[in-house]
Amino acid sequence: MPTKLSRRNFIKLCAGGAAAISLSGYLAPFMKEAVAAGAPPVIWIQGGSCSGCSVSLLNSVHPDIEKVLLEVISLRFHQTVMAAAGSLATEEGLFATVAENKGNFILVVEGAVPVGADGSYCIIGEKNGQHLKFVDAVKEIGSQAMAILSVGTCSSFGGIPATPPNPTDCKPVSEIVKNVPIINIPGCPPHPDWIVGTIAHVLLYGDLPELDVFGRPTMFFGDIIHDNCQRRQYFDNAIFAKNFGDPGCLLELGCKGPIAHCDSTYRLWNNGVNTCIKAGAPCIACTEPEFPGWPIYDRIPEMPIAPGITATVDQIGGVLGAATAVGIAGHLAGNVLTGRIGPKKQAEKEGDN
Amino acid sequence: MIIKMEERHGFWLRFFHWINMVSITLLIFSGLCIHAPDSIKLFGNMDNTRMLHFAMGYVLLFGVIGRVYYAIVAKDAKNVLFNPIPDIKNLPSMMKYYMFLSDSHPDYGKYNPGQKMMYTGWLLMAILMLISGFILYAPNSFMGLAGILGGLLAVRLIHYIITWLFILSILAHVYLDLSEGIPVLLSMFTGKIPKDFHGQTHDKNMEA
Repeated sequence: MPTKLSRRNFIKLCAGGAAAISLSGYLAPFMKEAVAAGAPPVIWIQGGSCSGCSVSLLNSVHPDIEKVLLEVISLRFHQTVMAAAGSLATEEGLFATVAENKGNFILVVEGAVPVGADGSYCIIGEKNGQHLKFVDAVKEIGSQAMAILSVGTCSSFGGIPATPPNPTDCKPVSEIVKNVPIINIPGCPPHPDWIVGTIAHVLLYGDLPELDVFGRPTMFFGDIIHDNCQRRQYFDNAIFAKNFGDPGCLLELGCKGPIAHCDSTYRLWNNGVNTCIKAGAPCIACTEPEFPGWPIYDRIPEMPIAPGITATVDQIGGVLGAATAVGIAGHLAGNVLTGRIGPKKQAEKEGDN
Repeated sequence: MIIKMEERHGFWLRFFHWINMVSITLLIFSGLCIHAPDSIKLFGNMDNTRMLHFAMGYVLLFGVIGRVYYAIVAKDAKNVLFNPIPDIKNLPSMMKYYMFLSDSHPDYGKYNPGQKMMYTGWLLMAILMLISGFILYAPNSFMGLAGILGGLLAVRLIHYIITWLFILSILAHVYLDLSEGIPVLLSMFTGKIPKDFHGQTHDKNMEA
């Protein structure tokens, strides 16, 4: 795909200086050009999710979302945003586009895939008068796509729907479709720039951006929140907030900044206004594969010690410490009583000599 | 009366013992400060504490590598490594001695099975500590490894649990050493111990 924007500049643009300019706004003309030159269309389907990722994308202010959807991305199908409905929409909008562009469209999946009860927990429409199960749609459409973008932590790693006990047996998209390259754009929700930027990379260069071991584009997920945090100086000076609203580092309130990979501390949300930690909310590491399987407002999870019972490490350590103290005291008493140490031993020794 | 001394610990063994003692002690204290920065303040700010912790992490890394190299080259490994078959067989007689049920025990070699168990455990714990520590130190470089262990928060938990094990086992180690007598402590400085110091508690028939 010929474009005036070199890949090196594109990556630089995505990875740095994001707050200074609107990434989506800057990329829009290039993407428009690519779409006009016949770039692959985008199909967006949605399953076990809260629509938050869609809402996040709708928040891209400049250019406004109408332009993004109609001109910048050739978006052919999006259940939540489009006006069409019913089996006509599914058959004409979705499957006709798939058949037309076999192997040459980008599938965006939002939400985890419930596979329990043969997938009947998530019906996304009708096809030929039959229920269209989400898992079947992902399998059928996904296996014909050029690439799949798993938007949001749910479709990337399972997220909230797949957290135990997981009654609907939700799975990430990567466990459903294996033969197509998958890009994970986790986040709860992901930043609109991450979605638009990744789509732009695939549209402009026709291949995947560089990914880390969890399939996330490194241009957006290569940094640790803690390293770029607005409150980092508080941490270095050991000033810690004890209550919500206090000034200070939020570590003691359960901030997962030191383990979370993303760039929202300098990309900033709502068109460059603010970010979670800056606004006083501890990071919950929503871009990590293990999210949300950890306590949100605790620093370290408790340890299972028996089925259904957990304890903090400090409690366990305290009990073991008491046991050690009792053991040492008991042994010391025994040592003295039996004369292994103390005056008795001296006397014995002298007697020997 | 002149006490005849015999060599117990070689120079490099003592060297690595004290290097590792210093690094582990400082790691424990700075680690506790990092864990509870509000309640434990020993090194001023967080910056110093973390710097010390990371520096000592490297010292421990090279200390462990050096100690393992020494164990192989000086053929010290057979003294300290827990060897399940003979050592488990020897455990009851050792426990009897420690529980004051008998006044003597067989000659186990340089260290008894309990000591071997502790020292081998320390090696494994130190390796786990170094792995989990470096994952937390450079979360971008070891992302895959962190994923295998269950995510960075799980790594943090592992790191903290082993800290507790280190604290408790070191307390036991210090107590047991001191209770054996000051010469045992001195031997780790001078390398020498009175001849037949340990022989006093050995079974008479085993010595013959």
